Amino acid sequence: MKTALAYMQKILLQCVALCLLLSANTGLMADEIRLPALDPKLAKINIVEPERDSGYTVGDLLTRVVTLEIKKPYKLLDTSLPIVGYEKRYQGQVIGIELRDIRKEEQEKADSTVYKIALTYQVFTRNVVAKPAALPPEFVKVQGGKDIFEYRIPSWNFRISPIAVFGEVKLETDLSPFRGPVQKTDKRERIILNTALVVLALAALGLIYILGVHAWLPRMGGPFARAYRELRKLGKLPASDETLKLGLGRVHQAFNASLGSSVFSGNLEQFLQQKPVFATIRHDIEQFFDLSRHVFFEQSDAQQFGAEQHEWLRRFTRRCRDCERGLKPGKQV
Amino acid sequence: MSDRQLADWREHALKLESEINKVVVGQESPIRLITTAIFARGHVLLEGDVGVGKTTLLRAFTRGIGGGYQRIEGTIDLMPNDLVYHTYLGEDGKPHVSPGPLLMSGEDLSIFFFNEINRARPQVHSLLLRVMAERTLTAFNKEHHFPHMLVFADRNQVEKEETFDIPSAARDRFMMEIPIVVPGDPAIREELMFNPKFHDVDALVGTVEPEVLEFDKVNGIARIIQNSIDASQTLRRYALDLWTATKSPELFGVQVSGVEMSRLIISGASPRGVGMLLSAARVNAWLNNRTAVVPEDIHAVFHETIAHRLVFSPVYEMRRTEIARELLSGIINGVSAP
Repeated sequence: MKTALAYMQKILLQCVALCLLLSANTGLMADEIRLPALDPKLAKINIVEPERDSGYTVGDLLTRVVTLEIKKPYKLLDTSLPIVGYEKRYQGQVIGIELRDIRKEEQEKADSTVYKIALTYQVFTRNVVAKPAALPPEFVKVQGGKDIFEYRIPSWNFRISPIAVFGEVKLETDLSPFRGPVQKTDKRERIILNTALVVLALAALGLIYILGVHAWLPRMGGPFARAYRELRKLGKLPASDETLKLGLGRVHQAFNASLGSSVFSGNLEQFLQQKPVFATIRHDIEQFFDLSRHVFFEQSDAQQFGAEQHEWLRRFTRRCRDCERGLKPGKQV
Repeated sequence: MSDRQLADWREHALKLESEINKVVVGQESPIRLITTAIFARGHVLLEGDVGVGKTTLLRAFTRGIGGGYQRIEGTIDLMPNDLVYHTYLGEDGKPHVSPGPLLMSGEDLSIFFFNEINRARPQVHSLLLRVMAERTLTAFNKEHHFPHMLVFADRNQVEKEETFDIPSAARDRFMMEIPIVVPGDPAIREELMFNPKFHDVDALVGTVEPEVLEFDKVNGIARIIQNSIDASQTLRRYALDLWTATKSPELFGVQVSGVEMSRLIISGASPRGVGMLLSAARVNAWLNNRTAVVPEDIHAVFHETIAHRLVFSPVYEMRRTEIARELLSGIINGVSAP
C-alpha cells in the first residue's frame, strides 16, 4: 500500500514539473517577439480607409492606403511588411480576412521618409446575419541605428453582411443590395467580340472573293464576263479596225483563260469537249474564229470591217458569258 | 498568171498525195508533210521502227515526182567517195572511174535516197552537209550542181549497234524529221496483214502514177508559193514568240514533267530552222487553198520542223522523243495568237 502511494506521488510530482516547464517556455517565447514601440513623435500616420464600412461579403476586396512618415534616421524594414497570402488570425483563430496584395512607394524628404503602403484584403467569410469584422492591425519594424522598434498600424472595423435576409427570401429571388454587384460588366468583352466577328466576316468575304477569282457569286467574274465588260467599254469608242482587233484579242484571251491553254480553230473540238456548256453556240464560235482569221491573218483590201462586226462581237461575247454562267444564251441577231 | 499556176500545181500536189495514199495506207499525215517539204524544197528525214514502211513511202514519192533518182544504203564502211565515184577494172583490164550515185544523174537528180543514214560514218554526214545546204559538189576539178535535188533519208532508232548519231549540224539541214508509226486503225492493220498487194513492195510502188509532178519546175512554183502567201504582222509576232519559246520555254510557262526547264535546252531552233518552219507553213497554207499563213499552218508543221533541231542537255537526251513532243505541245498551248 505504501509502495503504491509513493508511486502515485512520484507521478504527480512529475506532472506538476512538466506543467511548470511548459508554462515557463511559453512566457519566454512571448517575450522574444515583443519589441519596444516607436516613439509616436518619430512617426506620423494617415490612413485612407475603404469608402464604406458595411455591405461586404465573401470575395470582396478592401483596400486601405497607409501613409507613414518616419523621421530620419529611422527606416522602415521591408522585411517587416505583412506577407501576401497570410490568413489573419485573432486569438489563434482564422478570421476569414486575407492579405491579397501590397504595394509600397517610398519618398525621401529632408528630414523624413514617406512610405505609402496600399494594402488590399479579401474577405473569405460570410454570415447569415450581419456580423462585425476588422482588418487586423499590422505591426511593422522601424530601425534606427542598431535599435529596432515596432510600430502598430491600427485595425479598422467593418461589417460583414449576409447575401440575403436569413430565412425570409430565397437567394435567387431577393438579392441584398449590400452584396454589391454579383456580375461583372461584360461590355468591353462584348465590344471586342463584336469587333472580332466583324473582322472575321470581312476576312471571310475577302477570302470568298479571292477564291472565287474576284467574283462575288459562283460563276460570276469568269473570263468571258470580264471580256464582255471590257468590250462594252470599247463600244463607247468609235468603231475601227484597231478597236475590233482589241476586242477580238480580248475574246481570244477569254477563250485561252477558260481552257487554260491557247485555243485555235484547230483545237476547237478539244475546247468544246472540256467545256460542253459552249456546245450550243458552236456555230457562233466557228464564226468568231473565221472573223478573227480575216482580221488578223487574211485581211484583204476588199474587206471592210465596221460597226456591224463590233456589235456582233459584243453579242457573241455576251452569249459566251451566258454559257459560262450555265445560262441559256440569248439569241444571236 | 501565178494564181492559175498555183491552182494548177495545187491540183498536181493533191493528186500526188492521193497516189501515195493508195499504196501507203494510214499515213495521211506523213504524206501531207512530205508533200509540204517537196514544195518547200526541204530535205526529209523519216524516223521509225523497222518495217513500218519508211522506204516504201519514199520510193513511192520518188516515182511520183519523177526526175533522176539515186539511192544508197548506209553502212559502217561507206566512205564519202563512195557517194561521188567508184572504180573498177574494165574488160580491157585497165582501171576505170565511173560517177557515183550523186553524180550519175547530173543536174537531173531529183531524189537522193539515203537509206539508214545513221549507219554511215560522220565523214559521210559531213559530205551531206554541203550537198544538202548548197546543192553543189566539187569533184574531178569541177563543181557539180543539183538544183532539183531533195534528200530523203530514213533511220531507225531501235538499233544502236554499228550506228552513229547524226550530228546536230546535219540534222539542222533537214527541213523535217517525220515520225512514221504503225497505223492504229484495225481495218488498216488487217489490210496490211492479209492483203498480198502490200507484201510485194516493187509491184506496189509500181502502181503509183509516174511523174505526177514535173520535177524541173518544182523550184519555180516553190518560189511563187513563198512570194504569194502572206504572213500578217500578227502572225509574225506569233511566230517570233514560238521561236523565243523554243529557246526559253519557261518564259511562256511551259513545263515538262520530270524536267528542270532551266537546264533542259542548250540550243533552241536555229534561224535556218525557223525559216524552214515558215516556208513549210506557207506551203501548208497553199495546199489548204489559203492566201495567207494562219497559226494552224504553223501548228501543222511545227513539231516535224523544230523537234530535231533542239539540242537538249545530255542528261535529257535519252528521253529526247518524249520530251520534245511534250515540250512542243506545251509551246503550242502556251503561246497565244493574237
